[in-house]
Amino acid sequence: MKIKVKKENCTGCRLCQQICAITRFGEINPKKASIAIVPHFPEPGIFEPKLCTQCGVCFKECPEGAIHKEGDAYVIHEDECTNCGVCVEACPFDVMFTHAEVPTPIMCNLCQKCTEVCNTGALTLVE
Amino acid sequence: MTIYLRSGGKLKAHLKPDVDQYTRRLVVDGNPTLREILDDLGIPHAYVAFAFAGGTFRRLDYRPSDGETITLQPPVSGG
Amino acid sequence: MDGFGGTILRINLETGDIERTATPPDLARGWMGARGFIAKTLYDEVPRDADPLGPDNLFIMAPGVITGSFAPCGSKIGFGCISPATNGHADSNMGGMLGAEVKYAGYDMVIFERVSAEPVYLVIDDENVEIRPAGDYWGMGSLDLEKRMKEDLGEDFQIATIGPAGENGVVFSCITHDFGRQAGRCGVGAVMGSKKVKAIAVRGTRSLPVRDLPALTKSTYDIIQRTKTHPLMEPWQKYGTALFVGWANEHGCFPTKNFQTTFHEHWESISGERLAEEVLVTHKACFGCWMNCGKYSVAKIPGKPDTYVEGPEYETIALCGGSCGMKDIHHVAYANWLCDNLGLDTMSAGNTIGFAMECYEKGIITKEDLDGHELKWGDIDDFENVVRMIAERRGIGEALSYGTKGAAERLGRGTLAFASQAKGMEFSGYDTRWYWAQLLSYCTADIGAHHNRSWAITADVQIGQDTWKGKAPVVIYLQHIRPLFDTWCCCRLFWGELDVTPEEHVDTIHHLTGWDVTMEECMLVSEKIWNLTRAHYLERNGGPGRKFDVAPARHLDEPIPDGPAEGHKVGRENFERMLDDYYYNRGWDHEGHPTREVLDILGLPDVADNLESVGLLGEPIEGGVPKVRGERLKPKAM
Repeated sequence: MKIKVKKENCTGCRLCQQICAITRFGEINPKKASIAIVPHFPEPGIFEPKLCTQCGVCFKECPEGAIHKEGDAYVIHEDECTNCGVCVEACPFDVMFTHAEVPTPIMCNLCQKCTEVCNTGALTLVE
Repeated sequence: MTIYLRSGGKLKAHLKPDVDQYTRRLVVDGNPTLREILDDLGIPHAYVAFAFAGGTFRRLDYRPSDGETITLQPPVSGG
Repeated sequence: MDGFGGTILRINLETGDIERTATPPDLARGWMGARGFIAKTLYDEVPRDADPLGPDNLFIMAPGVITGSFAPCGSKIGFGCISPATNGHADSNMGGMLGAEVKYAGYDMVIFERVSAEPVYLVIDDENVEIRPAGDYWGMGSLDLEKRMKEDLGEDFQIATIGPAGENGVVFSCITHDFGRQAGRCGVGAVMGSKKVKAIAVRGTRSLPVRDLPALTKSTYDIIQRTKTHPLMEPWQKYGTALFVGWANEHGCFPTKNFQTTFHEHWESISGERLAEEVLVTHKACFGCWMNCGKYSVAKIPGKPDTYVEGPEYETIALCGGSCGMKDIHHVAYANWLCDNLGLDTMSAGNTIGFAMECYEKGIITKEDLDGHELKWGDIDDFENVVRMIAERRGIGEALSYGTKGAAERLGRGTLAFASQAKGMEFSGYDTRWYWAQLLSYCTADIGAHHNRSWAITADVQIGQDTWKGKAPVVIYLQHIRPLFDTWCCCRLFWGELDVTPEEHVDTIHHLTGWDVTMEECMLVSEKIWNLTRAHYLERNGGPGRKFDVAPARHLDEPIPDGPAEGHKVGRENFERMLDDYYYNRGWDHEGHPTREVLDILGLPDVADNLESVGLLGEPIEGGVPKVRGERLKPKAM
């Protein structure tokens, strides 16, 4: 199971970011989301959702072994992470996010909530 | 033939929905235009900004096909 | 304080001092944000003789209680000041992303005082607030500058800018954000420019405090799922506000050639359907809204560079399109871009340029006035020439920079008769000769002729056109409920179009703040604000109030010459009777002055004292003050 991103459908509403932070952290704070929406304006005038593809590079690169495969998702174990930032650098898609108040990088754990609120089909769940 | 009309707001009340809270199922004779269908229902044309079917805008002279769902957009609240 | 940023910033542009105070809970509960905060602060602090473009005016930026929360449509932010167009209270709000960012940075209001000696811009980065020299930002186009500032500061920052028009004090200058959202009306951009503030950049990384997040989340999540399949979601997503162009023409309220008539023979070539077919690039949403009614477009005109613009919305199609005789959606989109980048409200600009086109048609404005250019209906090059002259206040652009009323006063020769404006602000996109409730709405709105306060077209359709009876109570109800959304500062389209009730919005406010708040309380807050801004207007402009609630001659006296609404006009006597009914139903006197009785109900006894001290406090009309002011439209039985 994974989340398919269809960027041409994204309208930049940020509902995904809101529900992500609410679900993960119990807070209204889109900057703590594990998805980024990058606007490309004024030209070409499109939105680019950036979301973990579960490629596993971070898992391989983490020097502490703090990233584990759980089901279909890679998950950072907070008690093992030293916040060294190697995974953030190594991520080929720039989808490991950081926030000053959060002690580890923030990565998608496939909770699927974003796919439940997205109204345009930009984020859908696929097998 | 059977067609389905859907709307929201006050216009929905005039449709008297019977399929779900938005949708009215209508059996009509012949191949009427939307204008004629509204006349039969007693809904003034001014209550409908436009019709939307098949993913696109339709004028009131549009003739729905059997089984088609038509959305009726009431005059918008401005912006 | 749950639901709020927590801090009010006060920026003294003369001294550079930045003061932070905690947002008072009684301000938050009593005035709820945005329009409410603005109205209260302006009334309490701005001297009654302050020049709107002078140092004593305030320029205020304020989100509302719902902004930035997970309550539906929590995208908006308000800007306020004394308007240079109307000389009264002004508030104008915009969607986009800025409002949420301001809340996450921790602020509920930013008050700019005095005038900076040099052009500056403000940077808010959570608790760090800095006034920086604007340098070569000053003089740039609004859209050009946002692109530049995103490069300079980073994509994380949300940016609001004024264009050259705001720098030059054009009374219908706007503030632009997110490459196409505007605080368009009332000349808020001119006041920002008068203080030499070119831009505001905000980054907020903090979490919004919430009383009951699980309840708020569930409430909004349920509304999301329900509205996804609402019948009207799909047409709104596809066409946005432009979907109204056809109805407006077919039912005789589309401004055409400066409101000379109300059916534009080329309307289909500037319709929402034509927009979707020819110029649309992306559907664009505001923060926290899943209707994404914004339409981002590209105008392709031979001989001009491709221009990207958010729009055109219905209002721009009506006023830069129909009212200027345009026949091509690319031209309307290009006109939209010109206004956006120059920093002009497309609505007042389109209305004013249409007015100027009629003056040209009548020989009152000549080629000599236009630097050798013409000003023909439907000509995009002529439009471009004059809109640039307006932004620069050059030649005839100087007179036109005052809007239609100010231009008519300067041009004379009977031009005021065809200036479609009220209190100095231009009509938005509806001709009112067959829509009398809408005329009442325009002429009694506190900020001048804006339908945002009260969109009464449906009331005219459902109560019956060509009658004044029954219109006033409905206009009053709309004047309370619609600006409530400007106070909460969220978009009203989910209420207006997708059957999300105002009570559902009130529930989300309860979950957000913990307030034991009801819809009745919120409506009284909105009515309180309405009476406060009325009092403020009277204290600034004198009385009698009735002399300001006047309608333009074209809409009263000139029958529509052709089209579906041929022959209709309002007539002076009908308007006066409608106004009498309005004042009675407001609990005001015959001259439109609030009474002590209604001000006491609304918790404004000091305002009654102030009005009394200047001889403008009203005595109730026979029959007394109605128990409830305003009445919701009851649908006609079928």
